[in-house]
Amino acid sequence: MSTDPKAVEEKVIEIVANQRRVDPGTLSLDMKLEDTGIESIDLVEIIFAIEDEFDIDVPQDRDAMKLETLQDVVDGVQRLIAEKNAA
Amino acid sequence: MHRVAITGLGCISALGHSAAEHWQAARDGRSGIGEISQVSPDLLQVKVAAEVRGFDATGKLSDSQLVSTDRFTQFAIIAARDAVADAGLTFSDELAEETAAIIGTGIGGAVTIDANADRVYAQKRPRLHPMSIPKTMPSAAASYITMDLGLHGPAFGVTSACSSANHAIGEALWMVRTGRARAAVTGGSESCLTYGSLLAWQALRVMAMDTCRPFCVDRKGMVLGEGAGILVLERLDDAKARGARIYAELAGTGLSSDAGSLTDPSAEGAALAMRRALKDAGVAADEIGYINAHGTGTGQNDPAEAAAIHLAFASRGRAIPVSSTKSMHGHCLGAAGALESVITAKAVAEQVAPPTANFTTADPACDLRHVPNEAIDIEVGAALSNSFAFGGLNSVLVMRRVS
Repeated sequence: MSTDPKAVEEKVIEIVANQRRVDPGTLSLDMKLEDTGIESIDLVEIIFAIEDEFDIDVPQDRDAMKLETLQDVVDGVQRLIAEKNAA
Repeated sequence: MHRVAITGLGCISALGHSAAEHWQAARDGRSGIGEISQVSPDLLQVKVAAEVRGFDATGKLSDSQLVSTDRFTQFAIIAARDAVADAGLTFSDELAEETAAIIGTGIGGAVTIDANADRVYAQKRPRLHPMSIPKTMPSAAASYITMDLGLHGPAFGVTSACSSANHAIGEALWMVRTGRARAAVTGGSESCLTYGSLLAWQALRVMAMDTCRPFCVDRKGMVLGEGAGILVLERLDDAKARGARIYAELAGTGLSSDAGSLTDPSAEGAALAMRRALKDAGVAADEIGYINAHGTGTGQNDPAEAAAIHLAFASRGRAIPVSSTKSMHGHCLGAAGALESVITAKAVAEQVAPPTANFTTADPACDLRHVPNEAIDIEVGAALSNSFAFGGLNSVLVMRRVS
């Protein structure tokens, strides 16, 4: 799968916007996840949708991946795709 | 101890998407049994069921409710709203604080369990939706009703296979009676028409291929159904004080266990539950003017239930009108007693006994006063609603007319 940053960014924003039911245009990569108004339950659904979309496994260990801002999510997804492609 | 009134009825079933539609079809003897659509009939030997047709919770439930609920919970939420609206009840902070939600189910989130198993084992996609746990838990219906209506009283799920709803309603009765709750939203919900579940029922060889004809000599077995039924219970005094319409007094509950066979019902066990229900209600046997039977239409249940009625009512066993409305709404397992309680409450209120639909010729082994195919007017001071479960868990409710 491609790690093209733009494509991953757009997809991650789309997934979060979809979960929050907001216009993707209202989200930016520097936003903290908590500032998008998500609850803990939304986060697990976002992770589920990301795993499904990119066919990757987000680690269960919360310390293994920083997920503070949307940029963190994009970076994490790119890293996991890269690891998967290298494997 | 407080007397308890039934002031609201809610329902979703093969007979309709409200208690009013459910009752009207039952009174008219219209069966909701038909060819199954949720599973391809080609995959099944038994191709009939009493399905809730045209059900779409979109627009009725919020997006967050939709994504985190199984079909059985969606049924329960919608039926609970129907019941509360029917009761004309608004929950003040004080009443909400003291209102219980006790909901029976035989399985819980069967649709989610089946879909997840398919995804993991057949499709080899070992990632499950993160709401899978809250969707499958059997207490989800009770939980969601508290959240949807803002109730803070005691709330939990109750399970006893095919008598789950009656056990739940009986428990709610005791809560309101004893003051552990001021009011209760109670009943049962089930959505069990999945491929896996239908195959499992088929394996028991108790299913009819054609339709459900309880107590008939040519009956072939039961037909599975789905749905939810909900009652609103209040103190009789509270209901009168606010000028509520009272369908009936929920007068008593009788429980027993056969402690015998897993699948063969015991007439003695069922009769014991009926006797206990009458005693609990303080109702004499000759006041009973209608029995809504468990009446599954299986070879085993119907003669055992007839024998139980004769044991409990002696010489009056042939005089009391008896019908099984499972002939119309199917056997909805953990929701069965609730769908039948909605009908029994309406029967008492309107003084009408709904029929057993699809009725042909009575089985001599079921020597009862049947109500074949057409409703009859009755003079009923009190009525029974029977539920008997696999595993021998019996639960009978008594409803008394309130004039």
